[in-house]
Amino acid sequence: MNRRIFLWMALTAVLPAMAQTGSQPASKSAPSASGIKTPWGDPDIQGTWTSDDTWGVPFERPKQFGTRATLTEDELKDRAKNIQRNEEFVESGGENHSPAKAQLDAKEKGEAAPAAPQGRFGRGVDAAPVPGHWGEFARRPSPQSSQVVDPPDGRLPPLTPEAQTKLDAKNKLRREPIPGSYVNWSDYDRCITRGVAGSILPVIYGNGMEIVQTPGYVAMRYEMVHDVRIVPTDGRPHLNSNIRSYMGDAVGHWEGKTLVVETTNLLGDTLAVGVNGDGGAPYSEDMKLTERFTRVSPNTINYQLTVNDPKTYTAPWTVAFPITQEPGYKLFEYACHEGNMAMHNMLSAARMDDKKAAAGQK
Amino acid sequence: MRLGVKSSISTIIAAGCAAVFLSMLPAAAQNAAPRLPKMSDGKPNLTGLWQALGTADWDIQDHSAAAGPFFQMGAIGAIPPGQGIVEGGEIPYKPAALEQKKKNFASRFKDDPEVKCYMPGVPRAAYLPFPFQIIQSQKDILFAYEYATTNRLINMGKPQEAATDTWMGTSNGHWDKDTLVVDVTGFNGNAWFDRAGDFASDGLHVVERYSLIDANTMNYEATIEDPATFTRPWKINVILYRHREKDARLLEFKCVEFAEQLLYGDLVRKPGK
Repeated sequence: MNRRIFLWMALTAVLPAMAQTGSQPASKSAPSASGIKTPWGDPDIQGTWTSDDTWGVPFERPKQFGTRATLTEDELKDRAKNIQRNEEFVESGGENHSPAKAQLDAKEKGEAAPAAPQGRFGRGVDAAPVPGHWGEFARRPSPQSSQVVDPPDGRLPPLTPEAQTKLDAKNKLRREPIPGSYVNWSDYDRCITRGVAGSILPVIYGNGMEIVQTPGYVAMRYEMVHDVRIVPTDGRPHLNSNIRSYMGDAVGHWEGKTLVVETTNLLGDTLAVGVNGDGGAPYSEDMKLTERFTRVSPNTINYQLTVNDPKTYTAPWTVAFPITQEPGYKLFEYACHEGNMAMHNMLSAARMDDKKAAAGQK
Repeated sequence: MRLGVKSSISTIIAAGCAAVFLSMLPAAAQNAAPRLPKMSDGKPNLTGLWQALGTADWDIQDHSAAAGPFFQMGAIGAIPPGQGIVEGGEIPYKPAALEQKKKNFASRFKDDPEVKCYMPGVPRAAYLPFPFQIIQSQKDILFAYEYATTNRLINMGKPQEAATDTWMGTSNGHWDKDTLVVDVTGFNGNAWFDRAGDFASDGLHVVERYSLIDANTMNYEATIEDPATFTRPWKINVILYRHREKDARLLEFKCVEFAEQLLYGDLVRKPGK
């Protein structure tokens, strides 16, 4: 689906904290899953998976929860209600969640402008993030109070001074009133990539990935920005450190029924471990990511990602959530760069702003 | 480093290339009955890192050496000569399509989707000057191309209609004895076949046939059909070679950032303004 939404970054940074949707219990182990093996004897984690069920769970834990990692029954009910409301909104047509358009439509009919639904859509945003039928959302409420599960307070460890400086510089670049170049935008807005973590952390659409296995390899294919990772499981070492890339060099091995993937050789000072690969401080080239994929039921993999980057974070930290198989959910070709008219339009508008500013100075 | 390894193996393989073409055509391959890697279900296992040699990406038809577009690049920017991969030599364009191809050729260094880091489409993905990785499961088969991180999943189950038009199309596969046959439809008509401006419309239908000649060599044949563009279906043939270097693997060529200045440079603020 080759369309781009430039308000994306701002929205996805704000919405998770506001929208209270969720996912299912992360660790209910069904005995049948341990029996799922490939014909060559590896645990079989293949299929189409989505992190949708964690959409809306705050990345970092809101402070009032302290070290409480799971919701109370009442909190869970509230989250379930929000999911219900989102579903109803989408099923009722749900297209018209742009306050601006809603007001125009109402004016045409001579009616009072309808209020935009609270939560996932609308809220102070003057343009539709995605049409209702594009939006993805949790199918069941997550009991988690945050995606970050370690440290125990669910909050990221403090940044190193070096990383804080990089974060400040990045924020300054992103917030320039009139962007001078495409480099003002994130690697995601530029359709380059969202990186390893950004490719699986849930956002408002395109949370799907496909896993394909063959003897000696596990391959992962992500819908958004058509990213792909080939993970050898034959015990080979990492590439020479002179070869670096956005998705890094992944090598994997099986620990019981868990696939453990270690990723190094990353390009530093570009992407962050956060929403869409841009939320947070740019990581260093020394970062090591350790992911664990454990199929705990036919339809659920427990996913865990540990971030180890002493140049950026003063301690390692871990996010964890389930990814699920859902009936009818499939991946489409996401020709992001090919359809990135947004970049052309934003830069074109910025140059007009330059002209206006220059004229104003005269 | 990567280029070094690949070019050295290229040299070795190139030496025997002509001999391979002559001796490894299907009839000869059947007589030789080489041992093929197999999956546990008895199907050939195509998993591996593959790459075409030759210059088909420059022009799928016969072409002479030529200067490149930028004199600054000197000899390394020149266009190497090559024997075409089109069966019978000529692409059967309809007159209007041939005119379009000529226009494309004239503006190729600006309009070729490869220049812009756009997805290559099918069949071009198979003979780009980059390797691609096949991951063959007991069900579906993943093709991951190094160029632009393009990838596609071949559905080996019940054939599915294209849900929407795309660059890489919708791929339904099946086995015809030991040949993987992939039927590709649902193209958006934006991809080219090569840097020479050969093209098709969104009515393109490609049937690919992947047949192992031996454990490390694979024949690639594609039948190309597009009544809006061609007077009849036509075929291309390429040999794919397995990368056998120790620890060879698919690397990352995310080319968007190499094309941004070209695509957006006129909209970037000029220094001093």
